[in-house]
Amino acid sequence: MESNIFYFYSLFILIVGSAICIILASRMYLALISLFCLICTTGLLYLALNAKYLAVFQFILCGIFLSVYIFLLLKKIRRLNLSLKLVNPAKIIISMFWVLLFGGVACLFYNEEYSNSLYTIFNFIIENSSDTVKFSQHIFPLHLVMLLVIVTAAVLRIFLSSQTQKQNEEDK
Amino acid sequence: MAVILNIGLIHYLILALFLFLTGLIGVLISRNMLRTVMSLFIMTIAIVLNFLTFGHYCDKTMENANIICIFVLTISVVQTIIALVILYKIYQANEYLDAEKIKDKEN
Repeated sequence: MESNIFYFYSLFILIVGSAICIILASRMYLALISLFCLICTTGLLYLALNAKYLAVFQFILCGIFLSVYIFLLLKKIRRLNLSLKLVNPAKIIISMFWVLLFGGVACLFYNEEYSNSLYTIFNFIIENSSDTVKFSQHIFPLHLVMLLVIVTAAVLRIFLSSQTQKQNEEDK
Repeated sequence: MAVILNIGLIHYLILALFLFLTGLIGVLISRNMLRTVMSLFIMTIAIVLNFLTFGHYCDKTMENANIICIFVLTISVVQTIIALVILYKIYQANEYLDAEKIKDKEN
């Protein structure tokens, strides 16, 4: 019981700390390290929610694949040590005010509309459907989605590179 | 005190809310577009955490929540990579990734 509490709150602090570090980091590599920490710590939190496959999935896809991809990209453009700037302080204060207002209004809305019961919004998860399908059948369209996205990315990349070349030629 | 010590649905939801709001603030206040993409990813993680929490506390088999989360995560990672490719091209064209500088240049 006590270990569970300790586990949750330590992960809570680590996750929120990493997220804040990403948005306030002064250097790009610090933001990248924080992103990696965030991915690992949220993976540990998934383990607490009995989602071990998702934790492994996230670690492989985001921790290894995405972080390394960003790292290589930054290395390629030689901006790993880039100093990051924030927008002017007035805009930060206004943004924070809007975000807190949005958070407050959203919480009040849920409280009023659903009588503090968030379960009702996610009824589709609780409903026991009669046409139960296997996990593999659910996963099947994922291949199609990934294929479509990769094809779109490839087309987009070709289009963008040709546009960039055109723009560079025009600039010259 | 008992509310703090008994970890339940609401605790995970509060964490997800904090994470989502942090991501939203990051999107609003960062000038570097790469950091904006990272902030969007934080928001996605908050959404995944929300789904998993509901799955854990409302549906003990966790099947539906796992499937939704796998979809959301995969799509968000692919989306992030596409955004990074676009940013790389923007960098090649402009030599910087500062949103305000790019806006000034366009004007």
